[in-house]
Amino acid sequence: MGITQILFWILAITAIFSALMVVISKNPVYSVLWLIVTFFTISGHYILLNAQFLAVVNIIVYAGAIMVLFLFVIMLMNLNKETEPQKSKWLKLAGAVAGGCLLLVLVAGLRHTEKQMTEMVTGDIGLIQNLGKVLFKDYVVPFEISSILFLSAMVGAVVLGKKEPRIPVETEMRKVEETQQAINI
Amino acid sequence: MNALIFSAVSGVIMMFSSFLLNNKNSVRVLAHVLLLATIIANIFELRGISFFHIDTRGMLEFDRFALLFTLVANVCTFAFFLLSSRDLEKIGNHYSDYFSLLFFILAGIVVSSSFKSLLMLFLGIEILSIPLYILTGSDKRNLKSNEASLKYFLMGSFSTGLMLMGIALIYGATGTFQTGITVAEKVPVLLITGMMLLLFSMSFKVSAAPFHFWTPDVYDGAPTVVTSFMATVVKAAGFIAFMRLFAEEFGSIRPEWKLLVGIVAAVTLFIGNITAVFQQSVKRMLAYSSISQAGFMMLAIYSLSNDAKEGLILYAAAYSLATIGIFAVLVRMKDYTFEGFNGFAKQQPFLAGILVVFLLSLAGIPLTAGFLSKFYMLKATIDGGSLALAIFAVLMAAVSVYYYFRLIQSMYFKTGNATISGTTTGFKYTLAALAGITILLGIFPNLLTNWLYF
Amino acid sequence: MPINYYIFLSLTLFVIGIIGVLTRRNAIIIFMCIELMLNAVNLLLVAFSKMHYVTNVSKVTNAGSDGQLFVFFIMVVAAAEVAVGLSIIVMLFRNTHSVDVNFLNRLKH
Repeated sequence: MGITQILFWILAITAIFSALMVVISKNPVYSVLWLIVTFFTISGHYILLNAQFLAVVNIIVYAGAIMVLFLFVIMLMNLNKETEPQKSKWLKLAGAVAGGCLLLVLVAGLRHTEKQMTEMVTGDIGLIQNLGKVLFKDYVVPFEISSILFLSAMVGAVVLGKKEPRIPVETEMRKVEETQQAINI
Repeated sequence: MNALIFSAVSGVIMMFSSFLLNNKNSVRVLAHVLLLATIIANIFELRGISFFHIDTRGMLEFDRFALLFTLVANVCTFAFFLLSSRDLEKIGNHYSDYFSLLFFILAGIVVSSSFKSLLMLFLGIEILSIPLYILTGSDKRNLKSNEASLKYFLMGSFSTGLMLMGIALIYGATGTFQTGITVAEKVPVLLITGMMLLLFSMSFKVSAAPFHFWTPDVYDGAPTVVTSFMATVVKAAGFIAFMRLFAEEFGSIRPEWKLLVGIVAAVTLFIGNITAVFQQSVKRMLAYSSISQAGFMMLAIYSLSNDAKEGLILYAAAYSLATIGIFAVLVRMKDYTFEGFNGFAKQQPFLAGILVVFLLSLAGIPLTAGFLSKFYMLKATIDGGSLALAIFAVLMAAVSVYYYFRLIQSMYFKTGNATISGTTTGFKYTLAALAGITILLGIFPNLLTNWLYF
Repeated sequence: MPINYYIFLSLTLFVIGIIGVLTRRNAIIIFMCIELMLNAVNLLLVAFSKMHYVTNVSKVTNAGSDGQLFVFFIMVVAAAEVAVGLSIIVMLFRNTHSVDVNFLNRLKH
């Protein structure tokens, strides 16, 4: 067993373990932290597969930006306690069994795919130079089109995030209480 | 390409108009003008004149089918603007932003109806859905709207995850994202698994059973104006993408999925129609009716012939126009239940007559566009080899007559005081024009379908 | 490594994400599980891109790079989705002071 194989197994087991912890942890902040661990292991896999640039981007964008946003929102809402009401045991069991069955079906179906190999250390397509050339030659149209997506997300964040000025605080608090009573929290 | 660039640019212009124009009327007029320009540009491209020559590297193909559907979607949106743009004002404070989101959705419709690469399908579907999540939640103080938005968002991104997994597996099997693959004798398992995942996620997006459970709540919770757009133009665009995907990417492995799509269509028809019968609110009934109409549109994917293509376009036009019309009236009603329409015909005989035309079209009564589009679908299904499915669809259409006629019954044969506000003469004439188009397409469908060939 | 190992690894991560979506009630954690699903897809795409690179490198230059580029686009979309999704969740929290998804069902009618 070479060094890359050992690394693969370590990273794979860490990834699965930390992904499980994301789902199991009761405290949302722990979930976020475990998810960041998962992202790091996935970046490790990218490096093993010679996708160096993606590995870096994955850490910067996912672990750096997106997860910080999550953490920020969780802190903002003061959810860093184990306040989440739990689903009933049976529902949880049903969910886990359904997921397990799906995994079983997928794995059983894909068991017989051809045994093609992915060599670990060769290749330079993952370097920023090559990716950049392909991105701005062949993929320039989707690149531009994704800007529409960003614009709409931006407009959306403003539309949804901006606080409506007109309602005074007391009315607002009363409304919140009414809704909370309505849904019996 | 014309429509794509025009609608994207229009979206940006609308974004800026919020602080350049401080008059809501001028914002509205600007939106109408920009959409009209988009329609004209699209007609030019349909006639072979493209203003832009951009090498998309085979990722987008603007064939006649895509262009014609873009035209239908744009015209339906124009009708929606004419009828309901005043009601958009009432949702919240970001009037011009709503328009810009609608234009971005139109850009997404162009992308998702003319993709040649799975990457474009993915981007198009996302550009369609992300503004919709926002519009669904745009009534910020209303808890139902919040709820609908969160539900739609979680379901939507979950199904996006499934779709991406499907795309990844297909990439593994074929090594390319371009559609139009050729497969050898033995179909790779990776391809079939990917196809199944894509089928599930597209069914989620077009709300075909058994993946429809989010639809009634979301359609019911969203502001009624937004529901009107979401249930018509966007749903039809989802079907066009669905059809394109299965015709071009999976056309060569048709035996693998034909039965499954047939089952999905039958289940959708059954669940949509049967549950619609029990609804008390007209808005919720329309949500279920949109599911049952989705079942009919699934038949086009089942049969995948030229008839099916023509039928799908006609269906998209007929269904969208009729539903937009009904919603435009519904928005102005005080009470959304069936009882709220009691005695409507006495007070507003003109509007009631027009509503009847729309309802007949949805139910598929002859002389309306709805009948012919259903007819095309059934013909394609029988040619596609399944008489049983066609008979089942007819039975379900008969069930649908019940709940559409129930509305007609409460309008004409029950006494009550239905209250409607804000019906101007212009509004009435626009509705009458829509009803006219519905009947015209029901008599001369070639007016629309000929554009596919000439 | 055989490609199968990567397929199984990313399917496992994907299904863990699905289980999370099905079993948790906190909207933010459900959303994080969806991100986990997207990352599983990314890993699979990179592995496939490597596989196609190995098989086609002699015939095509830059074979397999489209798989890696797709990952970029997934990241782009995920970032946009996160912006919108979190603002929806914050909006909901403002109105109800809760991010529990179960109340969604109680408000049905």
